Amino acid sequence: MPISKKVILVGHFGVGKTSLIKRFVHQKFSDDYLTTIGVKIDKKVLNVDSAELTLIIWDIAGETNQSKIPKSYQLGAHGVLYVFDITRPSTYDNLHEQLNYLRSILPMAPIEVIANKKDLLSAEEQEQVLEGIRHTGIHATSAKTGENVEMIFEKLAGAMLA
Amino acid sequence: MSEELGFKQLRKILLEQDWEERQELAQKLHDLDDQLNSRERLESKVNPILQDQENRFQNNFPKLFGPQITETIKTQNKDSQDEVVEALYPIIGRMIKKYITSEIQKLSDRVDEQMELAFSWEGWKVRIKAWISGTPQKDLVMSKLIEPKIEEIFVIEKDSGLLMGSFSRQVSVDQDMVAGMLTAIKAFVEDAFSSEQQELESIDYENYKVVLKSFKSFYIAVVASGGMTSSFRDRLDDLLIDFADRVLKKARDGEDAEQEISGSLAEYFNDFDDADK
Repeated sequence: MPISKKVILVGHFGVGKTSLIKRFVHQKFSDDYLTTIGVKIDKKVLNVDSAELTLIIWDIAGETNQSKIPKSYQLGAHGVLYVFDITRPSTYDNLHEQLNYLRSILPMAPIEVIANKKDLLSAEEQEQVLEGIRHTGIHATSAKTGENVEMIFEKLAGAMLA
Repeated sequence: MSEELGFKQLRKILLEQDWEERQELAQKLHDLDDQLNSRERLESKVNPILQDQENRFQNNFPKLFGPQITETIKTQNKDSQDEVVEALYPIIGRMIKKYITSEIQKLSDRVDEQMELAFSWEGWKVRIKAWISGTPQKDLVMSKLIEPKIEEIFVIEKDSGLLMGSFSRQVSVDQDMVAGMLTAIKAFVEDAFSSEQQELESIDYENYKVVLKSFKSFYIAVVASGGMTSSFRDRLDDLLIDFADRVLKKARDGEDAEQEISGSLAEYFNDFDDADK
């Protein structure tokens, strides 16, 4: 029986949410930056543990504070991908506060945290940044090279079905 | 050995290598000359390079010249609006004229039909129907002239925007994404006007109208074309409430909810337009 789940991508503007979706759904990447207005919806069908899972992915326009986003965009989400830019501290300075807010409005939804644009830093630099954030389970990805992109969506899909 | 013979021998020994190199060089020069002057040989060498250049040029053409061409066309259009209008006017004019003529012809045929029906049994039926239902007679006549038609129906979960079931006469776009976008539009409008108690009820798009009927945890979006009269809207509302009450509330918790809801939608609404006649 096919199952559908709503996944939202949130985070500051310019962290690469749209690029991650573009990479995951269309296997494409573009260096051009076009800001998302409001929300954009995409869809991808995955096979998870022999079940057909349809992900309806809501690419929500970036905001420095999640409480500024219309709640109705976030409500009903079965999973959350919180994205920040590993090269811009301002995009992860308030990470804990933002995650707490998301947990308060979506208590049942699994949340995965993504440090995007890993291709711009060396392995040591990445390690240094992630250590400084003091949050476990952050996955570094690159929408540009595609590294870890599929994996993170699949991980969230598994968590939503668990 | 004479002195001259000895000298020749010495020259031969000293210059033999130079002589051989000169011979080789002369041969190469001759070969190169032949290659340059023989069209066939020159083509076989140069053609692959030219072909490569041509392919590269073709592939990169949009990237290299696209913006300039677009800019040139834009400037040209801006600077010579009169010429563009002059060139397009007859074509567009003819198209519009043809379309309007055909639509007026259709409308005229239908008005004729209605006029013929005015004092017939059908005409009296319309009058009685209008009197009983309280719907203005003009609405009933108009509904026959530009008949409204249900094109698609989506049953959508309110918060998540997930599609619970659908009915469509002609599937054109991804229904899951339409359901998501409708939910986003609905959420945006309701948030923008901070009206928790009020809900978006319809979206108009040229000849189409999307009617949104909200229930507690889901809403139904009906895409209809044609002129929607108040009687059509009333009848649609009644049927949607009945459908929600009888089918949706039971089906949504079932094993194969989407299939059950979609099947029931088809049963309920397939003949809806015909029933209006």
